[in-house]
Amino acid sequence: MSVNLTLLTVMGVLYACGIYLLLERSLTRVLLGLMLLANATNLLILTTGGYAGLAPLFAKDTDPGAYSDPLPQALILTSIVISFAVTAFMLGIIYRTWVLARQDEIQDDAEDLRVAETPSFDAEDDAVIPEETSEFPLPAVEPDAGGTILAGARQMPASEAAAEERPGSRTTAPNQEGGSE
Amino acid sequence: MITVLAVHFAVALVAPFLFRRVGRNAFYALAAVPAGSFLWLILQHDAVYAAPDAPALLVPWIPDLGLELAFRMDALAWVMSLLILGVGALVLVYCARYFKNKDSNLGGFGAQLLAFAGAMFGLVTADDLLLMFIFWELTTVLSYLLIGYARTRLAARRSALQALIVTTAGGLAMLVGLIMLGSFAGTYRISALLQQAPELVTGPAAPAVATAVVLVLVGAITKSALVPFHFWLPGAMAAPTPVSAYLHAAAMVKAGIYLVARLAPGFAGTDTWLPVVLGLGLATMLVGGYRALRQTDIKLILAYGTVSQLGFLSMVVGLGQPDAALAGIALLLAHGLFKATLFLVVGIIDHQAGTRDIRKLSGVFQSSRALGVVAVIGAASMAGVPPLAGFVAKESVFEAFVHHAGTGPWGVVVLAGVVVGSILTFAYSARFLWGAFAVKDGVPATRFKAIKPAFLAAPAVLAVLTVAYGLWPAPVDGWIQPYAALFAGEDAPDAGHLALWHGITPALGLTAVTFALGLAMYYGRGAVARAQELVPGWINGDRAYQQTIGALDDAAVWVTGRTQRGSLYFYLAVILSVAFLLPLTAILLAGKPLPADLYVIDPGSPLQLVAGAGIVVGALAAVRANKRFLAVLMVSVTGYGIALMFALQGAPDLALTQMLVETIILVAFVLAMRSLPAELRDRTGGRYRVVRIIIGAGFGLTMIFVAIYALGARVATPVSLDFPRLAYDGGGGLNVVNVTLVDIRAWDTFGEISVLALAATGVASLIFVRGRGDRIRSSGSVDEGTVGRLAAPAHSRDGAALALSRRFAASTKDAWLVAGRTLAPERRSIIFEVVTRLVFHSMIVFSIYLLLAGHNLPGGGFAGGLMAGLALTIRYLAGGRFELREAAPLSAGALLGIGLATAAVSGVAPLLLGGEVFQSAIVQLWLPVFGDIKFVTSTIFDIGVYIVVVGLALDVLRSLGAEIDEHFEEQSDAAAGTTPGGNA
Amino acid sequence: MNIASFAPLAVVLPILGAALTFLLIRHSRAQRTVSIALLSLTLLLECWLLASVWEGGTAAVSIGGWLPPWGIVLVVDQFSSLMLVVSSAVSLAVLVYATGQGMADGDSDAPVSIFHPTYLILVAGVSNAFLSGDLFNLYVGFEILLTASYVLMTLGGTGPRIRAGVTYVVVSVVSSVLFLIAIAMIYGATGTINMADLAMKLGDLDQGTRNLLHVLLLVAFGIKAAVFPLSFWLPDSYPTAPAPVTAVFAGLLTKVGVYAIVRTETLLFPGDTFNSPLMVVALLTMVVGILGALAQSDIKRLLSFTLVSHIGYMVFGLAMSSVAGLGAAVFYVAHHITIQTSLFLVTGLIERRAGSSSVDRVAGLAKLSPLLAVLFFIPAMNLAGIPPLSGFLGKLGLLQAGVLLGTPLAYALVAGGVLTSLLTLLAIARVWNRAFWRKPEDAEHPDPVLLAAPGGESQGTGGAGTSSARHTVSLLPRTMVGSTLALVILGVALTVFAGPLFRLSGQSAAEMLDRSSYIHAVLGDEVTVPAPPQPVAQGGGK
Repeated sequence: MSVNLTLLTVMGVLYACGIYLLLERSLTRVLLGLMLLANATNLLILTTGGYAGLAPLFAKDTDPGAYSDPLPQALILTSIVISFAVTAFMLGIIYRTWVLARQDEIQDDAEDLRVAETPSFDAEDDAVIPEETSEFPLPAVEPDAGGTILAGARQMPASEAAAEERPGSRTTAPNQEGGSE
Repeated sequence: MITVLAVHFAVALVAPFLFRRVGRNAFYALAAVPAGSFLWLILQHDAVYAAPDAPALLVPWIPDLGLELAFRMDALAWVMSLLILGVGALVLVYCARYFKNKDSNLGGFGAQLLAFAGAMFGLVTADDLLLMFIFWELTTVLSYLLIGYARTRLAARRSALQALIVTTAGGLAMLVGLIMLGSFAGTYRISALLQQAPELVTGPAAPAVATAVVLVLVGAITKSALVPFHFWLPGAMAAPTPVSAYLHAAAMVKAGIYLVARLAPGFAGTDTWLPVVLGLGLATMLVGGYRALRQTDIKLILAYGTVSQLGFLSMVVGLGQPDAALAGIALLLAHGLFKATLFLVVGIIDHQAGTRDIRKLSGVFQSSRALGVVAVIGAASMAGVPPLAGFVAKESVFEAFVHHAGTGPWGVVVLAGVVVGSILTFAYSARFLWGAFAVKDGVPATRFKAIKPAFLAAPAVLAVLTVAYGLWPAPVDGWIQPYAALFAGEDAPDAGHLALWHGITPALGLTAVTFALGLAMYYGRGAVARAQELVPGWINGDRAYQQTIGALDDAAVWVTGRTQRGSLYFYLAVILSVAFLLPLTAILLAGKPLPADLYVIDPGSPLQLVAGAGIVVGALAAVRANKRFLAVLMVSVTGYGIALMFALQGAPDLALTQMLVETIILVAFVLAMRSLPAELRDRTGGRYRVVRIIIGAGFGLTMIFVAIYALGARVATPVSLDFPRLAYDGGGGLNVVNVTLVDIRAWDTFGEISVLALAATGVASLIFVRGRGDRIRSSGSVDEGTVGRLAAPAHSRDGAALALSRRFAASTKDAWLVAGRTLAPERRSIIFEVVTRLVFHSMIVFSIYLLLAGHNLPGGGFAGGLMAGLALTIRYLAGGRFELREAAPLSAGALLGIGLATAAVSGVAPLLLGGEVFQSAIVQLWLPVFGDIKFVTSTIFDIGVYIVVVGLALDVLRSLGAEIDEHFEEQSDAAAGTTPGGNA
Repeated sequence: MNIASFAPLAVVLPILGAALTFLLIRHSRAQRTVSIALLSLTLLLECWLLASVWEGGTAAVSIGGWLPPWGIVLVVDQFSSLMLVVSSAVSLAVLVYATGQGMADGDSDAPVSIFHPTYLILVAGVSNAFLSGDLFNLYVGFEILLTASYVLMTLGGTGPRIRAGVTYVVVSVVSSVLFLIAIAMIYGATGTINMADLAMKLGDLDQGTRNLLHVLLLVAFGIKAAVFPLSFWLPDSYPTAPAPVTAVFAGLLTKVGVYAIVRTETLLFPGDTFNSPLMVVALLTMVVGILGALAQSDIKRLLSFTLVSHIGYMVFGLAMSSVAGLGAAVFYVAHHITIQTSLFLVTGLIERRAGSSSVDRVAGLAKLSPLLAVLFFIPAMNLAGIPPLSGFLGKLGLLQAGVLLGTPLAYALVAGGVLTSLLTLLAIARVWNRAFWRKPEDAEHPDPVLLAAPGGESQGTGGAGTSSARHTVSLLPRTMVGSTLALVILGVALTVFAGPLFRLSGQSAAEMLDRSSYIHAVLGDEVTVPAPPQPVAQGGGK
C-alpha cells in the first residue's frame, strides 16, 4: 500500500511539537501538547486509509475501493471525541490547580523527595538494645513489701528498679550477640 | 494423622475465647491436645514398627503443582513426634503457672503455641517435600509471633524480625533446592525421592542435584542456627522462657536436624554433603561452647549451649553411617529432654527471683532444693554424666566418630573437634549449675519465692524421663534401629546398640578425658574468663546481619531516589524515550529497504500540501507562543487545519465533527483560563530544553518511519472494503461512517459516550468540588441587573459612566432573552442578545436535522449534539448563567443519565427480542404527513449519543462558565466590600 | 443462541446502573441500592458465564449481529471469564466498603453522587477490556476505565490529589496515544483490527514488521501494567486517592494491562518470542519495585511499590511461555487482585482508626484493635508468600516453571523471585513491628490520637472519648470491616480451593497458548489456524 509522505511529515512535526510542549512544567502547555499528540495520531490513522477518495456516502454503482476508507474514519471520530472529553477534564484540572495554588505549574512529589533523603540510621532497626536479664521486672514486690526491693546486690527504690528494666535506661552496654560480660 | 493436625489447629482457633473465659488455666485445656495425641502416638507404635512399610495417608490438593497432603509415619517421624508432642504438652502445662491471668493477649499466645505444636507434627510426618516446606515456614512465622510476645520491648520486636528474616531466607533457598530435586526426580514424594536418590546422585544431573542438596542444607543450617547463621538463636531468647524451651531447644531448631536426618539416607553420598555438614557442624559446636562460657545470663548460657549442641547433632546425624544415625537420633532425644528441663528451670528461677544474671543470683539451691535436683539431673545429662540419657547417647556418638576417624586425617580432626566440644559442654554445664544455684561470696542471697508444685511438675517429669532413658535405653534403641537400618550397606559398619555399659572402649576413654579437662576448665573458670577477655569476638553474625540490612536499606534508598524522582517530566522523558527507541531498534534490526511507493502529492487532493503547511506553522507557533491565549489559538489553528485535511481526504463527517469540537474546546479554554495570567513563561529551560528537543524530534521521526514500514507491509485487503455494502444492506444507511459508528461498531460508540458522561462528571466534580452541583436558581429569583456587576467607586469618573449605562439599560424594557435582565447592564450587549435570539432556535433545529439526517448524509449524533452545545454556548455568552439555565432547564446530570439510559436500553432491547445486543432493525412505516418512512432502530441509539453530548456541553458551560463566574463575583464583591461606597 | 450473547450485559448492566445513578443524583441511598444491586447482578451473570465456558469452551458474540472481521466481537474464554468474576467480586466488595465510608464520613471527602456512576462505569470499562475481541474496542475499554479513574483519582479535588491526578492523567493519555499508534500501524499493515483475524494475518507479515508492531503494543501496555522502567508514575499517583479508590485501582487497573500483554504474547504474536527481554524486564520490575517498598514509611506507598514489584511475577510467568508458567501467572493475577485490594482496604481502616497511614506515627494497633491486626496480618503474610497461602502457591508455580525451563536467565528469575519474596516479607514485617507492636510513645512522631486512645476494643466505640472531630474518624463502620473481612476470606478461599483454581488457570493457559479455540470461536471452525511462525530474530527489538 502506498504511503502519503505529506500527512506523515505533518504528523511527525505535530508529534515533535506536542512532546516538546508535553515535557514542560506549565500545565497549560502540557495540555496543549496532549492535544497536538491527539491530532497527530488522528492524522496517522487517516494515512492508513490510503489515497484520498470519495466521501463514503454509499452509491449503488461505485467501486468500494473508490471511497476513502470508512473504518479509519470511524476510529478517528471516536478518538476525536475521546480526546475532547479528556481535554475538557484537563481544563477542569488546570482551573482547580489555579484555585488551589494560584499557579499552573506541575509540582514534584514531596514524599518522593523526602524518601530520597531518608537517613540510614533508624531507631527501630539500629538503636542499641538494652540488656534485659528478666521477663519479670519487680518480681518480689508484694503490696506490703513497701517501696524498696532487693534487686541483685543493690538496694533500690522500686521505681528505679522498674526503670532498670525499661529500654534505654542505665544498663551495661551489650557485647556482641546480646550477651553481657 | 490429619485428625491430630486438625484438632491442633482447630483448638488453636478457639483458644482465645477459652482464655477470655477461664484465664490462664486454659493452658491445661490446650495441653490436653498434644497429650492426647501423644497417647494416640504410643498406640500407633506397633502399626509403625510391625508393618513392613509405615502407615501413610494421601489426600490430593493441588495436583498441578505436585502438592498433595501426603503423610507418612515411619520410625523417624514417630520418634520426632514423641519429642514434639510430649514436650509440647509439658510446656503448655508449665505455661499455666508461668503466666499470670493479667498478662495481656495470653489467648493469642496460647493459640500460637498450640498451633506451633501442630505445625511441628505436620513437619515431621509430611511425606511431600512441598507440604513439609509449608509446615516449615509455618513454624517460622509462628516463632516470629511467639518471640514477639513481649511486643512493646524493642529487643523482642527486633530479634523476632531477625529470626523471621534469617530463617525465611534459608527457607526460600531450601524451597528452590526442593523444587529442583522434585523436578529432577519427577516427584515431590519424599519416600519415592529417597528411593530414586542413588540414580540421581550418580546420574547425569549429579552436579545440579548436588547444588540442590546444598540449597536444601542452607535451609537446615539457618533453621538449626548453625554457623554462620547461629546468631538469631541467642537473640530469640527475648521470647518468654517456655517458648525458648519448646521452640529453641526441643522442637523448632531440631527441624533442621530432622531434615538432615531425613535426607541423609539418600543424599549423604553427594560430595558436597559431608564438608558442609561436618565443617559447619564442628565450627558451630566449638563457637557455641566457647560463647556459652562467657555468658552471665543463665538463659544465654543455655542458648549458646543449644547452638553448640545443634552443631554437634548435625554432625552426627549427617555422617550417614548406621551407627552415627542411631547415635544421632538418640542424642537428639536426650538433648530434647535435658535442654527443655533446663530452660524450664531457668524460667522458674527468673519467675521467682526476678533475674537470670549469675552476678545477682546466689544461694538459690538453699531456697529450693527440689528445683536444684531437677537442674542437676538436666545439666549432668547435658555434660554426659552416667547414668543419664546424655551419657548413653554421647557414648555411641563417640563410637561412631571413632569409626569415622578411621576414614582418614579429616576423620581424626573431626573426632578431636568433637572431644573439644564435649569438654566445653561439660564446662558450661558446670558453670550453669554454679551460676544459677551456688552461694557466691559477696553476693547477698537472692530473694526467692516458694515454688508451687504444679509449676515444677513439667521439668520434674522431664528429669525423671532423662534418668529412665539413661538407666534403660533398650526401648529407645528399639525405636531408632529401623531408621539406622536405612543406612545399612555392605561396607557400612553395624549400627550397634545404645547401652549404659559398652565395656572398656575408646569412647569411654574419650569420655574420661572430657570429664577431666571439663572439670579443669570449670575450676579454672577465672583464668578461662580472663583468657576470653583477651580474645576479641571474631565471628559476629549479629553485626554482620545488622550491616547487611543497613546496606540493603541504603541501596533501597539510593535506587528509589534515582528512579522515583517524583517529577512528571522525568517519568515522561523515560516513557517517551522507551517509546521511540524500542521501535527504532526494531526497525534497525529488521534492516529492510524503504518501500517503493511513497508519494508527496496525493493526486486526489493536492491542496493537502497547503493545509499541511498551515498545520505545521500553527504547531510551531504554538510551541513558541509565550502568551497563553496565543498558544491556545495556535493549537486550534492546527485543529482547524486538520479538519480541512479531513475534508480534503474525503471525510466530511470527520471535518464537521473536528470543526465543532475545536470550536467548543476553544470556548472552553477561554472560559477556563480567563482567570489565569496571560503570560506563559517557559520554565524548564537549559539542558532540559535540549532533552525535550531530542526526544520530540526523535519520536516524530521514528513515527514517520514506523508508519512507512508498517503501511508498506500491507498485504491483505482491508476488511473495510465491504463496509459500504454492509452499511447499505445491513445498516440501512448511506453514510457509511455514521452507520459504522451507530451500528457496525456501535459498541465502541457506546463505550465512548460513557467516557463523555464521565468527563462531564469529572469537570463538574473539579469545579463544584462537593458533588455535581446540579442546583441552579431560576432566573426569576434573581434581582435585576445584579449578575456580574463591576465594582467601581461611585464618585469617580467611570463610576458616573457606569451609572449612565445602567439607566440606559433600564430604559430598554423589552428583554430579548429571558434572563437577560439578570445580567448587569454593563455586561449586556443588545446586539448580541438579538442575534442570539435569532440564531439559537435555528441552530437547535439544525442540530436535530444533523442527528436524523446523519444516517444518510454527513452528520449524526455527535455532530448534532455538538451543534446544540454551540447553541447553548452562544446563549450563555449572551445572557449569562441564568440564561443558560433557562435554555436548558434539565440538569446536565439528568441529560447524561437519560442519554446513557436510552443508548443502553436500545442496546439491550434486541437481546430481549431474541437478537444480539445492539442489533438494529429497519422499520418501514407510514406516517400521515411524512408518508413512507424508512426508520432504522439504530437511530434511537444515535439519539442517546446526541443527548449525552449535549449533556457534556452543558456541564462544561455550567462548570467552566457559570460556576467560575460565581467564583469571580464572590471575589469582586469581596474586593468591592473593602472599597468605600462601592457596589452602590 | 449461545449464552455468550449475554456477555455484553457484563458491560451494559453497570452502565445502565450508572445512568440510573445519574438520574438519582440527589438520593444517595437510592444510588447505593441501585449500584450494589446491579453490580451483584453482574457478578452473578459472570459466574454463570464462567461456569458455562468451563463446560462448553470458548464462546464469542458478535455485537449487533455484525460478523467478524467487520463487527466487534466479545470473546468469553476461561481466562477472560475468570478475570471477570474475580474483578467484579472485588469491585463489589470495594463498593460496599466505599458506601460504608461515605455513610460514616457524611460524604466529607467522597461526593458519592459522583462516586457511584463513575465507579460503575469503571467496572464496565474493566469488563469491556477483559471481554473485547477487537483491538480498537480494547482501546475504548481502556479509555472508559481510565477516564473513570481520572475522576475517582481527583475526587474531592484536594491539592495532593490534583497533583497526583496530573501525573496519572498525563501518563495515561500518553499511553493511550501510544496504544492508538500501535492500532493504527497494525491496521495499516494488516487491514483488520479484529484480534482473531489478526492472529490469522499477522503471521503473513515479515519478521521485522511483526517485531515492530509487537514492540509498539508492548510499550503501550507496559505503561498500563506498570513494568520497569514504565512504572514510576504509579507510586506517585495511586496512594493519594481515597482508600477504596486506591484499593480498586491497585487491584484491577494494572491487571488489565497485564491481561492485554498476555493476549498480545499468546494470541497475536506467538512464536516470535520476546521472552528473554521480557524476563529481564520482569526481573528488574520485581527487584527495583521491592527496593522501593523497603524505602517507604507510608503504608499506602509501600503497598503501591509491592504492587509494581509483584507485577514482575506475572511477567515472569508469561515470559516462560509454557503452560506451567502462564498458568501460574494467571493464578497469581487472580490472587494478587484479591490480596492487594484487601490490603489497601485494611490500610484505609488503619487510616481511619489511627488518623494516619505512616508507620512513623501509627503504633500499638495490635493492642488497640486485635480485629484490625488479624485483618492485616493474613493478607500481609499472603502477599509475602508465606505458605500455605495463595501467594505462596502462585510463587511455587512460577518457581517450578522457572526451574523447568532451566536456562540461566530462568534461574536468575527464580533467584530474583525468591529475593523479592523475602524482601516483601521484610517490608511487611517491619510495618507489623512498628504499626502493630510497638508502643505509641515509641513512634518517631507519636500520634496524639493513639496516645489518647483507650487501649480497649476498637470495634465501633474505640474512638469514643477522644475529640469529636476524631470521633467520626476513628470509628470502624461495620460495612467497611465486613467488606474487608469478606475479601480476606476470599483470599483464604483462593488457598483452600487452589486445586481447582490451578486446574482452571492451567487449562486457560493451555487454551491461550494453543489459540485455536479462541480463533475458531470467533471466525468459525472451518478456518485453519496457522502454526506460530518460527522466530528468526530471537527477541529482536529489545
